[in-house]
Amino acid sequence: MADKSKPTIALTGATGFLGSHLMSSMLLKGYTVIVLGRSTKEEPLYERISRLLRWFGIENRLNQVTCVDTDLSQDNLGIENEEYSRLCSVVGSFIHCASDTSFSESKRDKVMAANINNLKGILEFSRYARVNFFHYISTAYVAGLSENVCKENLPVTNSFTNVYEESKAGAENIIAQYCDKNSINLSIIRPSIVYGDSQNGRSLKFNALYFPIRSVQSIRDIYLNDLKNNGGKKALKNGIYIDKEGYLFLPLKIYLPKEGDLNIIPVDYFVNATIKIIENCFPGGIFHLTNNSPTRMTTLVKYYEQLMKVRGVEIIYGKSADNLSRNPSEELFDRFIEPYRPYLSDNRIFDRTNTDLVTGNLNPPEFTYEIFKKCMEYAIRVNWGASIFDN
Amino acid sequence: MKNNVNKTDNGQTPYETARNCRHYAMCKIDFLGSGVCDSGLEKHFVSYYPQGRMILYEALVENKIPITEKCVEIADSCDLCGKCDYQCYFLNEMRPTKVMEALKNHVETFIKEGGKIKPPKEDRMLTEIKIIVGENWATNDEAITITYSHDLSSISDPKIPDYVVMPDTKEEISSLVKLFNKNNITYTIRGNGQNLLGFAINEGVIIDLNRMKTIEFDEKNWLVKVGPGVAAFDLQKQAQKRGFRINAAEPAALVCANIMCSGIMSTFSTTYGINADNIIDAEFVNKEGSIFSLNDISSPNLYSYKNLEHKNSPGICISASIKLHPVTDDESGILVPFQTLENALDFIKDCAIRHIGLALGIVGTEYISVFLSPTKKMASEIKSIFVDKLNIHWLVVVIGDKYAIRTIGEMGFPFFDQNLFNSLYLGLPSLKKAQWLDLVKELSDDEPYSYLKIKSFAELFETALSPSPALYSQEIDKELRPFFEKLFSRQEMTDLVWLNMYRIMSTRLGRKKPFLPALMYLPIDNILINELSDKFRLIAEKHQIDHDFGFITPIDNGKRCIFEYDFFYDYNDPDDIQRIRKVATEANMLIDDYSVKTGKVKGHPYVLYQGFCRKENLLYS
Repeated sequence: MADKSKPTIALTGATGFLGSHLMSSMLLKGYTVIVLGRSTKEEPLYERISRLLRWFGIENRLNQVTCVDTDLSQDNLGIENEEYSRLCSVVGSFIHCASDTSFSESKRDKVMAANINNLKGILEFSRYARVNFFHYISTAYVAGLSENVCKENLPVTNSFTNVYEESKAGAENIIAQYCDKNSINLSIIRPSIVYGDSQNGRSLKFNALYFPIRSVQSIRDIYLNDLKNNGGKKALKNGIYIDKEGYLFLPLKIYLPKEGDLNIIPVDYFVNATIKIIENCFPGGIFHLTNNSPTRMTTLVKYYEQLMKVRGVEIIYGKSADNLSRNPSEELFDRFIEPYRPYLSDNRIFDRTNTDLVTGNLNPPEFTYEIFKKCMEYAIRVNWGASIFDN
Repeated sequence: MKNNVNKTDNGQTPYETARNCRHYAMCKIDFLGSGVCDSGLEKHFVSYYPQGRMILYEALVENKIPITEKCVEIADSCDLCGKCDYQCYFLNEMRPTKVMEALKNHVETFIKEGGKIKPPKEDRMLTEIKIIVGENWATNDEAITITYSHDLSSISDPKIPDYVVMPDTKEEISSLVKLFNKNNITYTIRGNGQNLLGFAINEGVIIDLNRMKTIEFDEKNWLVKVGPGVAAFDLQKQAQKRGFRINAAEPAALVCANIMCSGIMSTFSTTYGINADNIIDAEFVNKEGSIFSLNDISSPNLYSYKNLEHKNSPGICISASIKLHPVTDDESGILVPFQTLENALDFIKDCAIRHIGLALGIVGTEYISVFLSPTKKMASEIKSIFVDKLNIHWLVVVIGDKYAIRTIGEMGFPFFDQNLFNSLYLGLPSLKKAQWLDLVKELSDDEPYSYLKIKSFAELFETALSPSPALYSQEIDKELRPFFEKLFSRQEMTDLVWLNMYRIMSTRLGRKKPFLPALMYLPIDNILINELSDKFRLIAEKHQIDHDFGFITPIDNGKRCIFEYDFFYDYNDPDDIQRIRKVATEANMLIDDYSVKTGKVKGHPYVLYQGFCRKENLLYS
């Protein structure tokens, strides 16, 4: 139940992947949370939050939540004056977790509007509320393309992989300046790529780590169906067959520009570390929630082959596929993973000095086959999110 | 007489099926290559085709007419061959054979129970008509006249004519006109009853031109002269055999009737033009019964255009010489997807201005889903896949030679080529279950439909959908499946060129409900078209009528387009009929308003009886 000694938290992004997990854990820790979010055409905000709490198995904590319909792009966040003043008087800390995570250049305006333009109202609210702390959930990749060792400092580069990184880096600088000018305590929390819960495999979102796996699974299923139900002409033409041990041989060369790793952390680590930071951080602190033991794509492929009973997937580093003849699976997979390619062979090293200090050296687990299996089995069970709330 | 309550396979009683006959006359043409009702071909009156028998059965159940000698003959003439099931199921998911059977049973039971068959009623006028056309080709038998009481729309109240007559020559028509004038009898010309505004129905005499099916090719002059009983499908077939193409109206529409009514338009009008663009000459019987040709120096100027709602008919068109267009062996069709109507409009305008493609048309997802799907249920499922999974909201159909198709690729537009279309069409049931579509949607995030640019996407698509006639037919009524499997093994059934040149793509549009189109000519102006679409939507919503975008085809080098917006209604529901009448009135008023306001919009109803006009007079005067 609510612990009155803990500050009331205003939280944006509570219906998203990271925000919902954060909300859930904070409620369990006794925090009172004011969710600043949106109703959809189909579902009021309160119902969205109730549904999420049911998924977390903590619907009894709903009494610790206040849902406030907001429009972050509007003056006063689209909240009536009286209610706005009341909220300002009760909020202790602000966690800004809402974000447009699209990588697509075609969505630049939308991403910039959500991640940069909307800051104005949020920061003004925090100033009026005289919050103890403003915590901004950013990304480790604000470091951009320019450096190998990424410090826990404000970003300086202008060179980014995509509009998402660019918008988050821009946001960090705007927030830091605003907080500095208005004497608001700030912390910036920068997770790398977040996957499901390492304990039980559960997740609410299935992009990033999941996407390449899901892509290969789709290609596998297409050819398995061809082999099992249609005589397998197409599969055999492309050298795809089921071997003696029942594995599908799927020749799939994945070309990555250089050797490198995938920096992934589980959402349970993200939540535990973030709460520690929120509870112990120092003003102006920037914290990398990253993995010191990142995962190599070859390891992922090994895990995948074992779980999905597939062989033939091969990672080729340092070569471009541009002038090579590709089979249909390779062409499609290439296109599928295009937005994620820069993250699949990453050499950036993330400094964790602040994080280790504040979290007491709390580190994410190594990405083992067991964790992979739990996560993927859950993903498949909920049809990559399509049936996540069915039961 | 009681209604036969045996349900047909789609859950309808024969009476319900009969009442839902769309009156499209598609059972009069062999568009599936499965043959046409033999008795219809022999007797020619619509009454001997499935459409006529449906109307007849409905009238008998409702006690509108007695059982007559012709009624018995019509019922007997059906051998329950089942051809109409193939045709009507393809179009409307209906099975008329059960109605044919019910009609036969109805008549047999009546006779068995000692019912008295009404003998023919001879009168002086009928005798005189028969002297002109012969004994077999004129009648006042109610079993026949009732089948001429409907047109396509049911917007107009049905009217039962006193006589139906089927002349065979222009001389016979001339004599008939003189006879009717002399006796002050009204007469109405009817092709296949495709008019929507009640102009093919009337009291008095109906002159059915369906016996006059002459087709004379003059290949050296690139023209064909057609009699007034020739349907667009049949003419196109003959033209195709000779390596040509005509600008064709709806498949069952009679060519001369269509020209007379409104002029022929199609997606090929982008290059072949409209109205007088395709006319070389035509012959008419005027109101006095005299014969004249369009090209006679003294003939009325039918190339002119007047913006009048009720222009008098120049007479009866008894033949038309129309243009033959060349065909190359590298033509194919593609579907270019778009997220917004604005982008689709920009694309067709650009293509029309640059003369890229032979035929162009924008259609919505409702249109394409209804056409691709063998059943209503599947159409609705497929529509949501197009919208939600493939993010396709609009499609532009392009027919062109290899240079045109290549150019569209070079313009940077991803498209479904003929191979992909084959897979999509015959693999439709797999598409419903395809989980990989979620990934395809994400692939389109950065560049819409970029997956279509993957070189081997077609191969993967085919592998994933496993398209085949058998797969496609699995959702069709079990006993019809073998036929449909065979049908969809034929290349033309999935060939975008064939489907467009024969106008088959639009034939399923009325499957869920009949529809009334609002048709107009206007510039390809995004704001104007969006405004009109919104206002049509509001009119429909106000009267609770289903509605949807129909199509847009550019004409005259992209300076104008033909725009159709469709309103769907149940013509067995009197309330719906009242509502659709209001919608029709308000939609026409809206077009009139825009016509005055912009000086650039022309409502299609004004073209009635002016189908021979020059498009320049129509569009720009």
